[in-house]
Order: sequence, then C-alpha cells, then structure tokens
Amino acid sequence: MALIGAAALAGCGAGGPTSGAAITVGTRLDADQSVNRGLGAMPRSLDPTLSIDEPGQEVIDDLFEGLTTHDVEGRVVPGVASSWDVSPDGKTWIFHLRPSARWSNGDAVTAGDFVYAWRREVDPKTAAEYSQALAPIVNALAIATGKAPVESLGAEAVDAHTLRVSLNAPTPYLLALLSDNYMQPLDRAPIDRYGDAWTRPGHMVSDGPFVLTGLVVGDRITLARNPLYWDAAEVRPSEVTYYMLDDGEQLNRFLAGDLQYTSGFLSSQYAWLKTHLGREVRTGPYFGTVMLALNVLTPPFAGNRDLRLALTMAVDRKVLAEKLSQGLSPAAYSLMPPLPGYTVQNPPWAGWSDARRHAEARRLYAAAGYSAAHPLRVELDYPTDPTARDLFDALAAMWRINLGADVEPYNEEFRVLQQDEALHKSLFFWNAWVGDFPDPFTFLQLYESGFDQNYGGYSNPAFDALLGEAMRQPQRELRYRYFEQAEALLDRDSPYVALTYYATRHLVKPYLQGVQSNFQDRSLSRYMYVLEHEGR
Amino acid sequence: MWRFLAQRLLTAVPTLIIIATLAFALLHATPGGPFDSAKRIPPEIERSIEAQYHLDEPLWRQYLRYMGNLARGDLGPSYQYRDTSVNELIRAGLPVDATVGTCALLLALLLGSLFGIVAALRRDTSWDYVPMLFASLGIALPAFVVGPLLILVFAVTLHWLPSGDWRAGSVRYLILPVVALALPYTAYIARMVRGAALEVLASPFIRTARAKGLPLGTVILRHALRPILSPVVSFIGPAFAGVLTGSIIIESVFGLPGIGRYFLTGAINRDYTLVVGITVLYGALIIVCNLLADLCYAWLDPRVRLRS
Repeated sequence: MALIGAAALAGCGAGGPTSGAAITVGTRLDADQSVNRGLGAMPRSLDPTLSIDEPGQEVIDDLFEGLTTHDVEGRVVPGVASSWDVSPDGKTWIFHLRPSARWSNGDAVTAGDFVYAWRREVDPKTAAEYSQALAPIVNALAIATGKAPVESLGAEAVDAHTLRVSLNAPTPYLLALLSDNYMQPLDRAPIDRYGDAWTRPGHMVSDGPFVLTGLVVGDRITLARNPLYWDAAEVRPSEVTYYMLDDGEQLNRFLAGDLQYTSGFLSSQYAWLKTHLGREVRTGPYFGTVMLALNVLTPPFAGNRDLRLALTMAVDRKVLAEKLSQGLSPAAYSLMPPLPGYTVQNPPWAGWSDARRHAEARRLYAAAGYSAAHPLRVELDYPTDPTARDLFDALAAMWRINLGADVEPYNEEFRVLQQDEALHKSLFFWNAWVGDFPDPFTFLQLYESGFDQNYGGYSNPAFDALLGEAMRQPQRELRYRYFEQAEALLDRDSPYVALTYYATRHLVKPYLQGVQSNFQDRSLSRYMYVLEHEGR
Repeated sequence: MWRFLAQRLLTAVPTLIIIATLAFALLHATPGGPFDSAKRIPPEIERSIEAQYHLDEPLWRQYLRYMGNLARGDLGPSYQYRDTSVNELIRAGLPVDATVGTCALLLALLLGSLFGIVAALRRDTSWDYVPMLFASLGIALPAFVVGPLLILVFAVTLHWLPSGDWRAGSVRYLILPVVALALPYTAYIARMVRGAALEVLASPFIRTARAKGLPLGTVILRHALRPILSPVVSFIGPAFAGVLTGSIIIESVFGLPGIGRYFLTGAINRDYTLVVGITVLYGALIIVCNLLADLCYAWLDPRVRLRS
C-alpha cells in the first residue's frame, strides 16, 4: 500500500500529455501492483509487423509504442512523436520524435527505426498478411505487390528525431492508424541477430511501457514495467500477466479472483452476469456492425431493390437487440456505428412502428413478384458458432412470419464459408465488421466497386464518386458530409441488411482502476492500478 | 522377446507413413487455407506468403518435402502461430498433458482396482452398490460437467484450490484437473475390475489357495491380482496414448497449456503442419503404448507368450 501524493500523479510535465486518469490524493494503492488480464486466444505472433489479431494487438500495445498511442478513454494521443506538422494539402506530415523515447536496451528511438519497421511491413519478403494497413503511404501497396522497390516508400528520416511521411491523399485518420502495431518502430539489431526468434523473452527489444519477460506458449505472457520508457513514472503496474483462455475459463478465473480483467464474456451470460456481478460487468459501444451483405450479382437479389428492401425492413431489430443479445448489442439500421462528428444515416423506416414497417415490407415483397403461392426460397449460410446460430434462426423466422418467405438456415464451417464468399457463391454474406480506424471509410469501403471485401459485388458509380470526393477532402467536416451522402445512397440501394452494433464487454474487479470502456476497445495496461482491497 | 519388439517397431514405420499421408491428404482436401481470413489479402501478397511456406508448390512436392522433414523429426513451422514451430508447440504442451495424464491414470488405476475388488468381494452389499453407482455416474457425467462443478465447489466457493492455470511442479494446480480426468477412467476400471474379479475369485485356483488356508489379502495380492488386471492393461494402453496427447475438454476447462487445444484450433484454422504433426505423434504414442500393454499382458498372464 502506498499513499499517493498530489504532485507525483497530478499530470504531465513539459514532456507531453499524461493520458491516464489522474489518481486522486488519498487513494490507497495496493502494495501488489501486478495486473492479471485474460486474453481470448494465443496471439498468432508478437511481432508487430506480423500480428493481425486482437489478442496480439492487445499485448503489443503494452510492449511497443508508435508515433501515437491511446489514452485511458481510447483517444489517440502523442506517443513517440511529441508533435507534428501537416502540409496544407494534408499529404505531407512531419513528425517530431521525443528525444526521451528509448528502447528497452537504452538506445534512442529514432526516425530510422520507423522507416525500418514500415519498410519491413511492406517488403514482400517479410510476407506480412496485412501490409495493406500502410496503403495511405506513398508506394506502400506498390511495394507490397512487388511493383516498386522497398526504398521508394513514402517515409523518410530527415534526421534522427524527424520523420517525414508522404501520403497518397489526405488521410485524417492517419493519427489513429499510427498507433496500430503495423506502424510501430522496430529495433533492427535483435531481428538481424535472432531472425524469427527475436520475439522471445530475452531477445525482444521494445519501446513501450512494458518489456516481455516470459512466454509460455498457449498459456501466458508476462510483462514487466520498462524503466527506460519515456513516461515510466506514470506507469503503475509492476508486472502484467496475460492468460490465454476462452471466455468461459476467464469467467471461472475471474470469479475465483485470479483474473482482474477479462478480455470478454459470453453474450449469452450477460443477464446472469449483470444480476450476480453488477458493476463488475463493463459494456460500452464498440466500433463494429453485424450485417449481412446480399449478393447483388445473381438472382433473386440482382436488380431487385424491392426485394432487398423488403428483407431488410422485415427484420425486427428490437427483438435481436433486446431478446437475443439481452440488451448488450444495440439495433443497427445502417452500417455505420456511431462516431463523434458523424451523423449515422438511418433509413426513414427505422423509426416506424412494427405494423407499418411490416406492411411496407410485404408491399415491396409483393411488388418484387413474390406471394404465398410463389414464395422466395433461399438458403441462408452461416458460420459454425453458437451465437450466430440463434441469430440466423431468428432471421429466418422473421422473414418467414413477416413476409412468408421460405428461408432455410444452413450451417457451414467458417473457412468454407469464407471461400464461398470469396467466390461470390452464397446469396448472403455474414459480415461482422469492426472498423480498423475511427473513420467512416473503414465501413463504407466495404461497398466500393472492386474492393476485396465487397463480397456481394455491389457497384454504383455515384457511390464510388462520393467516396472519392470524401477522400480528397483535407477537412474532416467536409469529408464526413460526403461520407454521409454516400451512406444515405447506399441505404436507398439496400445491398445489405444491418442487424446490430457491437458492444465492448469486459469483467473488471472493482479494485482495478484505470479501465474505461472505449469504442475502439483499446485498454492499455499502463493506465491500470490496483487499489488496496480485501479478499479477491 | 527382442525379436518380437524389433518386428513390432518395424511394422510401426509403414503405419506411421500411412497415418501421416492420410492426415496430410485429408487436411489439404478441406476447403479454405491457413492464410484465409476475414480481411482479404491482395493476391500478390498472398502469393508471397504462400511462397514463404512453399504452399505455392504442387501438392506432391509439398508432400515429399513434409515427409522428408518428418523423417528427420522436423514437424515444420506452424502456420497459425507465425513465430513458432510445431516441434516447439509440442515440446511445450506435451509435458503438461503427460503429467496430468499419468497422474490421472495412476489414480484411476489405484482407486478403480480398489473399488472393483472390494465390490466383487462384498457382492450385493452396499460395498458393491455404492461404488458401482458412482462408477455409473462417473461414466455418464462428461468432463465438461464434472470440471466446472469441481471448480465451482473447490475454487469459487471454498477457495481451497485454484480454478485452473498451470504451475509446473505445483501439486495444488494439478489436483482438480487430475481428479476430473481420472473420474471416468476410475469408473471404467472399477467396473472392469469388478467383473474380472468376480470371475477370477470363483475360479478353482483361488478356491484351492483359500482351501490351503492362505489369508484373503495374500490370495488377492499374490494370486488374483494379476489375472484381474489383465483386461485393464489392454484398456490402459490406448487410454494412455489418449491422455498424453491431451484431453481437449479438460485443457479448456482448467486452462492447461496442453496440445489438445492446438489440435482443435489447428484443425479449424487449417494449420496443416500442426494437425498432421499431432496426428502422427498420436499414432506413434498409440503404437508404443499398445506395445507396452502387450508386454505387460505377457507378464501378467503366463499363458500369453510373445511370438513373432
């Protein structure tokens, strides 16, 4: 236990903003400041270049720091870069690195370390699965696809502490992108020396609040506070242990007091958890949407807007949100989840009564040429997953009851389904999408002509033009207005059925502080601290 | 006996080759590949990833490459965990499964034989009914019910034992998974031993031994135990191979870092090398355990002679 003085934690000095929650005077901290967190699965890799999954991002957020990072509320704040300048056209950014930023071996973090890491990410020899993340940077995609030399990447070390980044187009979400693992700096020496094994404890050199001290494959990852981190004075936990467990095991460990923070819980247990754990259940909006894309390349959906609209209007989203997800996931009428500064373009019928909406849906269904004698007969493929199954059964029932359509849910293994999607074989495409960065583009892009994830094959030149116009705007406000127009246009065309929004879900012990739900679901261990407490 | 051993081990080689070939072929025949994901990769990048793992080569060459590495004991890189090899995953996971599995089987053998023999000796009394009732329950109750139940009682409510986790060498972390894993095996063995014991105890040589005036304990330990245990041995052989390669359910419930769950996630994620590697390992263990069981069998029953 330690009594915290006001001066120690009151906030930032000249070095930069302290992004954690201020700890108030008189707060009694526990003598043991070790944090035990659940992790949904074993990260595929702890190499920031190669990691592509959420568990990996979570651990790498603690180990490495990019030009920007996240504060306790998930907002993007300066990281290794203390400040930056943007050219008037929004295409050239100059980042000024803090001289106090150090690697865990004591070396300074330099602009060259960023250039090295980014070139490694797009280098075809690295075979990184998500090198597209760097797409806004000049030549990134050309390099990744082998059409340009690695040296031509639009990132240049002006001097040790100045980095110039050249972009293809103004990219207002660049600062958020820079916090991701793909954009974090790397120290070249251990990678050259150890090859693939550089991510092992004892080999890894990192620049974040923590260093890797232990890794038991499939079991746990242990981190210790990095005393050389530039903001180390503001980092509370002495040790962080991630336990790789599924949601059910995490709940057991949480109840037994072995975990203070879980990476999730089963949505089917939400009501039970709320009753029994009360405020320890933390949920909040998450930047993601569950939807079904419709295959507009083949009948019955090709050229049949009435039918598509009838299907989406016949879905009772309140039932999905309140009954199926037990109030956890809000109803979604359009693909964009709420985002500050952006107005989600809900279709007009979103506010209608059930009776009116059903009547209109039936009218459109009939107008599309279907009737009780001649019903729509379709197969609804869905991935093997207990929650998905309930959802798809409910959907089929709604279309059966509200329209009279003959919909057969059909279970397929996830990988098989993905292959069908890539080949545009199915009629419905399960699309549970979480935005990569806080910008409407990450969602609207899903319906851009020719985009890899545009499974349904939707293509509308007017929609593409609006997206293109938005991407040319250096100002966020104007950019968002174009995106809003694009979304409204998309909703009129109805190439998809939006169902629910995602919600973040965690279990947090009352004595673990410094955790706040945020829409990107980024909870960095550096802000967490343990209060003095009785029992577990 | 040495000739028997050598011959058995030699026939194991083609068996393992067939197992590896079948696993390889089946896995590559399933739709989807290890690098398919919800985020689609531009084809050029996909090709360079495939080239790195030789997935761009014709299947027969991939197969020959794999079998060549296998012959040298190299199970290849894991596709799913990009900085880890299959050998490393197995080396990390196998000791966990081996510890839990061996303890559980020993416990099951000890308790199962004890209950079985007692039930046979006190046939049709409560000494028979109560353990056999529990044995039926033990067989009927799946591990995913028993495991969470044990956690609820001993970890969450009483706080006596940890709810899961694994600390190498710590007995506290071993107790609940071992008990949960041992329960069905104990039940099987108890029923098996009871049946065998009833038969053996009624046979003439036991009656002779008793008639000579030998005390019951000596009769059982010296004369009856070996024939009673011989059916158990043939059961334990494959069972041991099974627990060594991990019980997926026990591992999940108690969060043990064994190889069972790699097998499961590996199959879902099309981690070709990982799944084929564990399958081959499982095959090899079954062969070895069956061989050991046969050797034990010969030792337990003098009528069995090892002939090649």
